[in-house]
Amino acid sequence: MPNLFSLLESENCQIQTQLSSAMPDLIPTATYISPDLKKDFHPGCGPHSTQGTTTGPSDVVADKGAIDKDRPTEASDSTLGELRARLTTLQDQVNVFLTDRMKLGAAKEEDDKDLERRILDDGVDEDDVE
Amino acid sequence: MINLDKHIKPSRDYYLALGLEGSANKLGIGIIKHPKGELTATNRAEVLSNVRDTYISPPGEGFLPRDTARHHRNWVVRVLKDALAVAGLVGRDLDCICFTQGPGMGAPLQAVVIAARTIAQLWDVPLVGVNHCVGHIEMGREITGAQNPVVLYVSGGNTQVIAYSKNHYRIFGETLDIAIGNCLDRFARTLKIPNDPFPGYNIEQMAKRGKNFVELPYTVKGMDLSMSGILAFIDSLAGDMFAGNKNKLLVAADGSSVTPEDLCFSLQECLYAMLVEITERAMAHVQLQQVLIVGGVGSNERLQQMMAQMVQDRNGSVFATDERFCIDNGIMIAHAGLLAYRMGQTNELWDTVCSQKFRTDEVYVNWRDD
Repeated sequence: MPNLFSLLESENCQIQTQLSSAMPDLIPTATYISPDLKKDFHPGCGPHSTQGTTTGPSDVVADKGAIDKDRPTEASDSTLGELRARLTTLQDQVNVFLTDRMKLGAAKEEDDKDLERRILDDGVDEDDVE
Repeated sequence: MINLDKHIKPSRDYYLALGLEGSANKLGIGIIKHPKGELTATNRAEVLSNVRDTYISPPGEGFLPRDTARHHRNWVVRVLKDALAVAGLVGRDLDCICFTQGPGMGAPLQAVVIAARTIAQLWDVPLVGVNHCVGHIEMGREITGAQNPVVLYVSGGNTQVIAYSKNHYRIFGETLDIAIGNCLDRFARTLKIPNDPFPGYNIEQMAKRGKNFVELPYTVKGMDLSMSGILAFIDSLAGDMFAGNKNKLLVAADGSSVTPEDLCFSLQECLYAMLVEITERAMAHVQLQQVLIVGGVGSNERLQQMMAQMVQDRNGSVFATDERFCIDNGIMIAHAGLLAYRMGQTNELWDTVCSQKFRTDEVYVNWRDD
């Protein structure tokens, strides 16, 4: 998989870093590498929460009106709690990015098929021929 | 005799292992203690904690990998804290951390192994990957005291008849398509039976009220069996029943209408008769007198009863555990993993990748020499 995740100490995330306790803030980052693209992800400066936009129950379950008993707990204000919240933001970013990539790939595949059909059949669909 | 104590910590006369299980919809974490020396009737393993939380999907729905993995991810820390608190231990007390390496559903397995890797690094404790099926077998042997049984492993994802031979648990017969628990669960969905506590239990309760047996296909193929056709057949009967379609199979001998309870009863009788048949054949083949039933479906009382009847005729004995150990749990992973650890088996971090396909007979059972 072309995903590299690493935990780095914060270098540039505002004054809060300097005001934090003895343990430095932990900022998770991710890098996506593929033959045609390299992209870095950084959670940014927030606000962050453990309730992600892409990490909820699936639509099938949500549509059934099920009560979500499996929500993650809220992040505490400890260093590790803040890391959890930042990770959720990062995961949202990665999920959105990868989903868009998949959609793009599917659309390109469809375009290629269409091109092949037009070249081979000269744009004439056999079903349309009376 | 095998020396199980080559890797004991100095100044200790026992071992402690934590096991994490999450190959399907149960998240289980257990802690086991082994005394030094061979495990015997007088020197037994001790369960220090065995905590479980189950992902329950809405009625009529199965558990999807994504939602199941989400459940495991969001509960694993809470369940872990509970398991440690009940055992009265801290992480660094442990000799090893055992995790289910397969078989199972990919996303839930992955969610749990990440937790295992994390705590192993936090506490500087070695990891041991465990085959889920071997976990069931070893825990069943330890709890029941069965020495060398033919094992019937029946759950939502697996249906196998197994016997030990030369350091491997050999598969003598198995399903050719879906597992028995999957067959029952899917029929429960057809009937819209709730998934709480689990569909098989609810089918069992309905079956107890069934009176009329509806003949279903009986599909034993040598030592193997097939259940997808039976499911399709009974699903179609249920469809006719709910739609009010005429079907002569839905009229009982006394002229009354067949009920959903009758269908549950008939499905259980048919499937369990098939299981009993292949188990009996395996017993005859390997000349063993003991049968051990493990896996979630093993907690079904009717299956235990039918198996006991067959085994009694052969002057043998049948062993089964209650739902604490039958249904997926963390303690069985801890137990089987600790046996492997005591023989020097550990997994480096790079070797902790989980696999959805990990067959029972792939495991080298070097903690047995019989």
